[in-house]
Amino acid sequence: MSAHDQCPSSVKKGKPGKAALAAEARRLSRVSGGASAAPAWRSLEEVADTPEFRDLVEREFPAGASELLEPATRRTFLQIMGASIALAGAATIPGCRRPDHKIMPYAAQVPEQVIPGKRLYYATSMSLPGGGAEGLLVETHEGRPTKVEGNPLHPTNRGKSGVWAQASVLSLYDPDRLKYPSFLLKGETARRPATWDDFKAWSKEHFEHYDRAQGQGLALLVDKKSSPSRDAMRDRLLKRFPRAMWVPYDAADSETPAAGSAIAFGAPVREQLSLVEAGRIKAKVIVSLDRDFLDQADPANLIHQREWAATRRVLTTQDEMSRLYVVESGMSNTGACADHRLRLAPSRIEAFAVMLARAVAHKTQGASWGPLQNLLAGMQAPAGADIPPQWAEAVAEDLVLAKHYQDGKPAGTGTYRAGETLLVAGPTLSPAIHALVHAMNAALGNIGKTVSYLPMSPELAAPSARGLAQLAQAMDSGAVTTLVCLNTNPVYDAPADLGFAQKLAKVTSICLSTPATETAAASGWSLNGACELEAWGDTMSWDGAIAPIQPMIAPIYDPARSDLELLAIIADPNAAILGGDAAATAPAGSPAAVAQPAAAQGATQAPRTTPRVDDGYTIVRQAWRAMMGGGTGEAGFEKAWKRALHDGLSPIPPQQPEARQVNLDAVADAISRLQFGAPPSAAALEAVFAPGMVYDGRFANNGWLQELPQPGTRVVWDNPALVSPATARALGVLPDNWSDTRTSQMYTRKFPSGQRATITVGGRTLEMAVWILPGMADHTVILPLGYGRQIAGRVGDGVGFNTYLLRDSQTGLTARGVTAARADGEYPVSSTQAHWTLEGRTTISRAVDLLAWQKHGDPAKNPTEPPADPLYGHKADLPINFAEKVGGGELSHTPPNVSIYPHPFTGTRTGIPAGAAMPFSKGPQWGMSIDLSTCTGCGACTIACQAENNIPIVGKKEVAKNREMHWIRVDRYFTGDDLNEPAAILHQPVPCMQCENAPCETVCPVNATVHGPEGLNYQAYNRCIGTRYCENNCPYKVRRFNFFDYGVKKFNGDYVGKEALESVLPDRGGITGSGRHNKLNPNLIPPRLREKLSEIEKMQKNPDVTVRSRGVMEKCTYCIQRLNEARIEMKLHDLNVMPDGFVQTACQQACPTDAIVFGDRLDAASNGGTGSRVRQMQESQRTYQLLGYLNTRPRTTYMVRVANPNPALRRPEEDPFGHHGVHGHEGGGHDDQGHSAIDRSTFIREQARGALDKGYALSLRVLGAIS
Amino acid sequence: MSVIFGKWMNTLPTVAAAVGLGGFVTVVGGFWYWATPKFWQVGYMPHQPALTEMQLAGIDAAKPLNPGMGLPGTQFPGFSHQIHAGKLGMDCRYCHTKVELSPEANIPNVATCYGCHAETHVDEAIVGASKVQFVRTAYEHDESINWRRVHKLPDYVRNFPHNIHVKAGVSCFSCHGQITAMPVVYQHEPLSMGWCLDCHRDIPVNPGKHLVPPDKVTQLVAVEQHFSKVQAGQPGDFPGFDARRLYESLRMNPPDNCGACHY
Repeated sequence: MSAHDQCPSSVKKGKPGKAALAAEARRLSRVSGGASAAPAWRSLEEVADTPEFRDLVEREFPAGASELLEPATRRTFLQIMGASIALAGAATIPGCRRPDHKIMPYAAQVPEQVIPGKRLYYATSMSLPGGGAEGLLVETHEGRPTKVEGNPLHPTNRGKSGVWAQASVLSLYDPDRLKYPSFLLKGETARRPATWDDFKAWSKEHFEHYDRAQGQGLALLVDKKSSPSRDAMRDRLLKRFPRAMWVPYDAADSETPAAGSAIAFGAPVREQLSLVEAGRIKAKVIVSLDRDFLDQADPANLIHQREWAATRRVLTTQDEMSRLYVVESGMSNTGACADHRLRLAPSRIEAFAVMLARAVAHKTQGASWGPLQNLLAGMQAPAGADIPPQWAEAVAEDLVLAKHYQDGKPAGTGTYRAGETLLVAGPTLSPAIHALVHAMNAALGNIGKTVSYLPMSPELAAPSARGLAQLAQAMDSGAVTTLVCLNTNPVYDAPADLGFAQKLAKVTSICLSTPATETAAASGWSLNGACELEAWGDTMSWDGAIAPIQPMIAPIYDPARSDLELLAIIADPNAAILGGDAAATAPAGSPAAVAQPAAAQGATQAPRTTPRVDDGYTIVRQAWRAMMGGGTGEAGFEKAWKRALHDGLSPIPPQQPEARQVNLDAVADAISRLQFGAPPSAAALEAVFAPGMVYDGRFANNGWLQELPQPGTRVVWDNPALVSPATARALGVLPDNWSDTRTSQMYTRKFPSGQRATITVGGRTLEMAVWILPGMADHTVILPLGYGRQIAGRVGDGVGFNTYLLRDSQTGLTARGVTAARADGEYPVSSTQAHWTLEGRTTISRAVDLLAWQKHGDPAKNPTEPPADPLYGHKADLPINFAEKVGGGELSHTPPNVSIYPHPFTGTRTGIPAGAAMPFSKGPQWGMSIDLSTCTGCGACTIACQAENNIPIVGKKEVAKNREMHWIRVDRYFTGDDLNEPAAILHQPVPCMQCENAPCETVCPVNATVHGPEGLNYQAYNRCIGTRYCENNCPYKVRRFNFFDYGVKKFNGDYVGKEALESVLPDRGGITGSGRHNKLNPNLIPPRLREKLSEIEKMQKNPDVTVRSRGVMEKCTYCIQRLNEARIEMKLHDLNVMPDGFVQTACQQACPTDAIVFGDRLDAASNGGTGSRVRQMQESQRTYQLLGYLNTRPRTTYMVRVANPNPALRRPEEDPFGHHGVHGHEGGGHDDQGHSAIDRSTFIREQARGALDKGYALSLRVLGAIS
Repeated sequence: MSVIFGKWMNTLPTVAAAVGLGGFVTVVGGFWYWATPKFWQVGYMPHQPALTEMQLAGIDAAKPLNPGMGLPGTQFPGFSHQIHAGKLGMDCRYCHTKVELSPEANIPNVATCYGCHAETHVDEAIVGASKVQFVRTAYEHDESINWRRVHKLPDYVRNFPHNIHVKAGVSCFSCHGQITAMPVVYQHEPLSMGWCLDCHRDIPVNPGKHLVPPDKVTQLVAVEQHFSKVQAGQPGDFPGFDARRLYESLRMNPPDNCGACHY
């Protein structure tokens, strides 16, 4: 680290060596032990701080990022250009004529409520993996959905939304979707195209064969979801075919939660967590046993995130705060949020759970444990070095007693907690442990207070793996002769031992799917499904709220049918389901409407009153009519239905969750049969199959999700097996050139890579890459599911490894006795973890303990600095708030403004003319506050920004070169000095800081980036000539450069003259995302030859934002299109002051925990405004500026993360002040008021001298700052 | 010794410098004048509307209204703003609906045209059936009638928010010219950034030269007369209208920063 951006007082004694610095850092972190004082590092190599790593971070882009071509550059370039010229021809030379743009108005009628040029929102919902659902608002532009947002009225969302919902709009425009039905004749290999009418004619005859046997031999494999309409259609289908097999299936699903609750309560339940109520914290201690309850794969994660954040958002020193213990095998976002985190293999978590239960049982007075009390007392869970002995005791103590601590020692015996704690168990644990956790919740009085239950539908509770195994057996034996797959993909994701693909060939198969899948390609009939933005349907969310799904757009590949409509075709062969049928719209009484199903024997079994099935609209409407009961008349129902469609929510109140009695005998019985087995070792690892960013693979062709950095690893476009550093060493799968002193080499090479290894699970082997992830449990390997798709589309094909090949139908999400052996070679992996690294990282992401906040956070002790300072000069004499003191008072080192450019809005350097307005004194002045206490690192902000701002994906190879385009990234930091066991993990979203003194502005030679009167740092794309000076000068690394036409041309797509190019450029085995479609990096193809985005893909783009072409720098501008629109709307409605919340940025709108707050900094109640939240946040003592000492005056500020450690496990740090980090500091000179003031000229001279930076010294001399 | 470099050559540097300078000035000046939107964009006048083959089919080529203005190869006269907005005095907003609400001043849908040009509505003696047959054809086939974009902003400008300009009292006339007198609409102003900024920067100084009462923005003839009087230093045609007061009451602040248009 060059010294000139660090505290000058610390470099007085000259520059210590690197080894000394590193040693000092470790010493400091050991002494304090606090989360804040430990050096923060984002990746392994940063700890070592090797020359390679220094080189990486000091470069503007990492090696390779700014190079046009790969090795053999010149020759390749000439080849491509030669082909380009040969192909281009005279015809492509653009004429000088003005292009003839056509305007196409609506034909006959403009649809109701459409105002061309204005967006229109419709409420809908979306079912999510795991049985959950979200209520959504979809932004449409002239009937074309472009952005998905949370529905504020839906109790799950309350205006927020998750990653998968945000990304769903891209799947709608997936160019590789199934476009028409097709069928495969026996003995042929090529599919033949067909129409839906063909299918209907075929299916009518085909399913009539099953009538006699009442459906015997017919099976349906359906995706798991909660949808009243689909339940109704299922019942209707089973009425015709009572003996058909109905198999709900979800490949990444675990059956243990349902089984565990069946033991404890007698029936499977859906847990409803309740952490806060009316601003009061209900769950003061939360213990998660491998349950990633904040992660997107949890069906209720939005509720959990919102409520958990509410227990963590301390704004005053009196605020209470919850404490979160996480015991986990992987390194999840939930684990990163924990106050105490214990990494254990899944089987060891079970042992820990028993130890914890025993300790709790021992301490609970008067609580009824029944037979468990004695059983637990007599149980001996195998102890081991991996479970610190004090853990179970300390956690149990905390669960039972609320203690007051003073000076690190408990004062008094504490008071009993009653019903203010919560334990949750995760999908990797066995049913017995789930039952035990329910029993513990009961004993601690939590049931009915912090956790209550809703019944789980048989559909959700159905064991996926067992159901599929039974189905496969029946297909094999001939008991099933026709299989209908509804939105499932068993050919890809069935456990390997079932041999599903072979068995599928034995039966007549029908597959309905929206994206292209392996199953669709192998099925007899492949039907193109309508996605949830194109069809009618409904959902029930995890908390029981029922919401309609309404189509936002007619199916893009029309006709396409939803699962409801296909079920209707099967259930009633005469259904007027197809567009050509008159009955769909036939008025009552017309011949078409009264025609009765004649031949269908099954249909006559149905009561006469069963209405005819029609299109999805009728199906849903009828189901809702039945659901709402006969109480309201047709007119009343119509009104309620319209209201429900408008609100996106059913008027039926959700079922209230209730407390349930735990059957202690059954739990004791299950526990007594618990087998612990031998703890895992390097020879017998434990494997955890975890759903990846693409869940079970269903989102594989969604480029936004593929390019969203995955939790923990920040890996994109891949799913390497994850192991801890110690385990990697034990297994010998460290990368070739790994050494303790030179850990950097692994990632700083041009293309980072992981060692290949052969993973063996139960006799099946797979060679895959291994990625080393600090903080994971030892002797555990995580195998993410959902990658290695063969037929998914141009984005998802061949991305990563298919870990389903390692699963068998007996193991759930965990497997034991797994081995990993080093294989030859390395595999390139793209990870963003070391990208966009900031200098001076020690104070970038700050964290303190609650005790320190309570002791020092009082505003009276820390007068906040005045918000505006006319000259932006030296600030040593200004008061510094708590958070800045935590950063070592670095603001006191702020240099004077030494820019030679006068600032247009502050008059800096020239000074404010007498009588002129103060800088930025006229509103609105935008600002953003990001609370690190509540950020879970979920990435919803990144995807929301991507959708709103037309941000392209770039592919794996480009990410490896650091060219990802995300405007808001989420940095992940580890802290502590043990690579294997980080002290804490922090997430920090970084958008553009919108500096008032923006370093990027002063270096732009063409004034493409300039300042605006509202404090925004504008980027004028048409001025930008692509010098990238601004990127170089940005201390936050938030600018993104379009090296290629990422947004304008097809991703990984075909290109004109493919053959000609491939003749000069043979297959070089590219590493970009999609191996099949990407023999050479398509970004290297000259733009003219690359195919442009198809019209379908263009439809996703937000028309309010430019689509940037290559050679242009871009960055976050606080969603300026929304700001401008809001300002106009405000004036149109004659509002003088923009109310707080009138405009939201996309990231803020999506953020499930409300960690991102945006608004007008001047909007204070004292100024006559409504009082903005961002002002309240920025005035908080927890707010600090990122690299504030650079005097950039960022508009985006951060709030220090507050941790709430248990003093029995770690002594909280009371005084987190002073310098910490990698440069040593001679004590003294720091008091409670931060850094002592130093003389300005001394400071500058020291900067020049200490840095030994001649250029900097020269510039100061030029500016007259020093003589 | 023969004279290779004659004495006349002493003047060569001067002459060369003069010619070079003159050439440079000519090139720069030429570029300055001709390579501008003012030269290239103003006057762009495509024939309207852009009909499909089917829509063209029923058009009788008998009596062109405006010779020379028609679609090449046919005698189809095209749509005339002069007739609709000028002679008939239709308000702009009859067709360009929602201009007060939307950033776009919308092109009318076919039903709007058909509302008047249905067979039963128009006296055949005034408007020959053949001339508006395309409207009926389009309506019957539920087809859109395509129009050619005349006023196109430079790339990277997101949109021109019509709604707020209309609200602020900027007349259609200020940007589109005297549409009521145009048989075929052409681009009247350069729509360049400098032209936009000229107005935005002048409005705070001389609001009266640019603003009219918001309810009069579509009365183009009255607005033109008003502005010609204002330019001449006379009081305008809208008695009681105080542009400065309008400017202040709406808290106008015409932006002149990049972020107002480029994002």
